[in-house]
Amino acid sequence: MLQSATETVNEDKQNPTSVNDNLTELQQKFMETAFNFAYNALAVQEVPVGCIFVYNNEILASGRNTVNETHNATRHAEINCIDEVNNFCRSKNLDVKKIFSEIDVYVTVEPCIMCAAALYDLHVRSIIFGCKNDRFGGQTVFNVASVLNPVTEVKNGYRAEEAMNLLKEFYKGTNPSAPLDKVKVKGKKARKPSDEATLKT
Amino acid sequence: MSCPPKKIKLEQNTDNQFYPVLSEEFTEPTPMIDVYIDTVTDPRNISKVVVELNTVLPLPELTHLKRIKGKDVLLFPCNKDTAPDMVCEILKKNNFDISYLKNNVRTMSVAEIAPKTRKQYEVVHKLWPCNFHSNKYVEKLCTNTLFSASEIESHVNYMQVAIDIARFSKDPLSIAGVVVVDPKINSIVAVGFDKRIDNPCQHAVMVAIDNVALTQNGGAWQQVNARLDNQASLDLRGIPDDILDVLKKKYRNLRFGATKFKGKCEIETPSDGPYLCTGYYVYVTREPCVMCAMGLIHSRAKRVFYGTKSENGALGSLCKIHTVKDLNHHYEVFAGLLEDGCKKLKQK
Repeated sequence: MLQSATETVNEDKQNPTSVNDNLTELQQKFMETAFNFAYNALAVQEVPVGCIFVYNNEILASGRNTVNETHNATRHAEINCIDEVNNFCRSKNLDVKKIFSEIDVYVTVEPCIMCAAALYDLHVRSIIFGCKNDRFGGQTVFNVASVLNPVTEVKNGYRAEEAMNLLKEFYKGTNPSAPLDKVKVKGKKARKPSDEATLKT
Repeated sequence: MSCPPKKIKLEQNTDNQFYPVLSEEFTEPTPMIDVYIDTVTDPRNISKVVVELNTVLPLPELTHLKRIKGKDVLLFPCNKDTAPDMVCEILKKNNFDISYLKNNVRTMSVAEIAPKTRKQYEVVHKLWPCNFHSNKYVEKLCTNTLFSASEIESHVNYMQVAIDIARFSKDPLSIAGVVVVDPKINSIVAVGFDKRIDNPCQHAVMVAIDNVALTQNGGAWQQVNARLDNQASLDLRGIPDDILDVLKKKYRNLRFGATKFKGKCEIETPSDGPYLCTGYYVYVTREPCVMCAMGLIHSRAKRVFYGTKSENGALGSLCKIHTVKDLNHHYEVFAGLLEDGCKKLKQK
């Protein structure tokens, strides 16, 4: 069902300006849900990334970043969803590996290196993301696929500009958990809104 | 005659021979580039030639190179559009008086960028004279002479604790232990062992990171039954109770607990309160995977020490995540610490 839905990443590299609106109606609905979580993250001053895990065309897990809430920089939307699916499988006594291998991941921003590795290791079926992540991206900054040889199909570009604008909106504010020396403007150490320590997708 | 005892000590402690995992820019030979050179007819004109050339044909991308080697002068880099027999024409076009030169144009391989280490410098400097600014810290890293004997002992001790922690791992097929240390107060902040049998993300490193979060009033996997003691000077929530008891009994000289977390408004000096794993050392019995290695980057760890290499390791084996230039944080990595002890864990 995904084959013709969006461009593959390779095609996207050759034609980086193209934005793909070619998702099925159902896929667009899933992306819409992921975006709702991203907006929700922004509202509570978390890095605005939203994510949902779909199994058999049903949403099995949904989440957003909770890095500031948990004081744990690894609590990205995708990791939270992995936990949720894991809990679900265990409560229903289902085969965790098998369920993950049939999961489609919808996420507003390109998974970071950590999340990409986690998702590839779980053999999730596909990842559809919105905008690229030029600070931590598991393709853009370091191509995790080049070392892990994943079976996962990855597509991107849908509502990319909107996803990016959400991030930009977040970086206009200050990260509430960053230490004061990284936030306070003192002398030359004026902090650009997009600077350091903050983008945890 | 102080040498023999030293040697004996080294042989006794082969386990201590851990080593830094460095970026290729330090370990690989300096990248080279071909340039055209010619010989100056009269050595008395050398300084004139250099001044002239630097005016009409400056080489801003090769400022680390001297323009002269003996009587030979560096003209400009070769490229596919210029053959050696065209060099004279090019010099003329740039208003350079070619009568200074013997018209004996040759190509020469020289350093494309400034060498980063003394070892690299010694190689490229022989080929063509070159500037080099030695960085003491980098030299110590490259020659693996960074740590004093007492520091080495401390690293060995913490890895020994990590090995003990690894034995708590839930799956005999997947054994790993982690100790997170705050070197500022020389205390064990948190530990972690492998629990992926319960949750595919609960590798020892990820568990340890979450246990660090527990000491900062956070944490997502609240499975640890650790004590919150408001009277204690350090926060012990990063270490599960049962493990703390075992460690305290075995290691009477070690300190346990994290500097107490302060809310943002309580912090007076900016660098005061703990923030994620900032400044912390992480001891892992085996090389972390890509997920864990990147988790430690997000967490802003300062140094990572590991015992044995992993097939899927991301700090030297599959790749070196800690040397990816575009990332906003980098930690130092040291491998081979108590390698034998860590290897034995795997075979258990």
